[in-house]
Amino acid sequence: MISRSQSLELILHRLKLLGEELKKPGLISANEQTRLFGDKADLDSMGLVTLIADLEYDIQQKLGHTVTLVDEKAMSRLTSPFRRVDYLADYLVEVLNTKKS
Amino acid sequence: MPTAIITGTSRGLGRSLVEKLLNEGWSVFGLSRNSNEIKHEKFTEKLIDITDEVSVQATVSEISQSCPSVDLLINNAGAASMNAFLLTPGKTAEKLIKLNYLGSFYCLQAAGKLMVRQRRGLIINITTVAVPLALEGEAAYVSSKAALDSLTKVSAKELSTQGVVVIGLGFGPLDTDLTRAVDKEKLNLINQRIGRPEGTTLTQAVDFIFQHLNSKNLKSGELYYLGKI
Repeated sequence: MISRSQSLELILHRLKLLGEELKKPGLISANEQTRLFGDKADLDSMGLVTLIADLEYDIQQKLGHTVTLVDEKAMSRLTSPFRRVDYLADYLVEVLNTKKS
Repeated sequence: MPTAIITGTSRGLGRSLVEKLLNEGWSVFGLSRNSNEIKHEKFTEKLIDITDEVSVQATVSEISQSCPSVDLLINNAGAASMNAFLLTPGKTAEKLIKLNYLGSFYCLQAAGKLMVRQRRGLIINITTVAVPLALEGEAAYVSSKAALDSLTKVSAKELSTQGVVVIGLGFGPLDTDLTRAVDKEKLNLINQRIGRPEGTTLTQAVDFIFQHLNSKNLKSGELYYLGKI
């Protein structure tokens, strides 16, 4: 099980590390409304891939689950779970709590 | 000490690579359907079918938890088949695409994620001169390896931004179980076409791989061949 706040914390922590690495202040101070890709986003496509790979690793290390966050179901949603931090936080909760049950 | 994952380690080139890497002080994880019986404190064998995506993901995940980093992946597992195109069973083409392309795809994806997280790593896809030569009688094999070559080029573009290098290393016929049943005259013709009339031994192939492993001038996405192409 993962709570919404734990999920958000996981994402913001990773974004902060990525922001420091890429020297992008917008990522360091990211919040729930921060866009992850698109015109106004600080991440390019490979940056988003890196974030997802990092999150999968964190989930494995901290929660003991091996997950693949990007699958056909996720990609075919009307609202991409990777568009904004809050969408991704909700998505992590959904994936991990479904997996657990 | 660096850590490598190699596929197809039960025999042939994969087995020789395991031995050489162990001699050089590497820790090696071998992914293979059958055991190679190598006993070494730094060698861990994972008996899996690399065409099973879930098994590959679980195995690479296990590996990542047991070592600090994965520095090298060699996608070596492969199969060949020779037949006139019009007589090649569809099942044969399917089998080759699954093993030569999809199996490597799954391994590259799983290890690639680890390496992106590390922001470094080297991935070597073993390919063949049969692709640029478009060898007749090998349509299914050549097509599956051509798909792998394209994967090498595209994944290299994406992963190089994160410090991960992906290259292809290609050989002519090697003296392994894969080629033992092939007509010697045909092998000689191929070897002459690539300027290696004496053929290529496993030792020469392993040396070629090590030469690139130790090179500081690798160009990600490049396909390097042992022989004239």
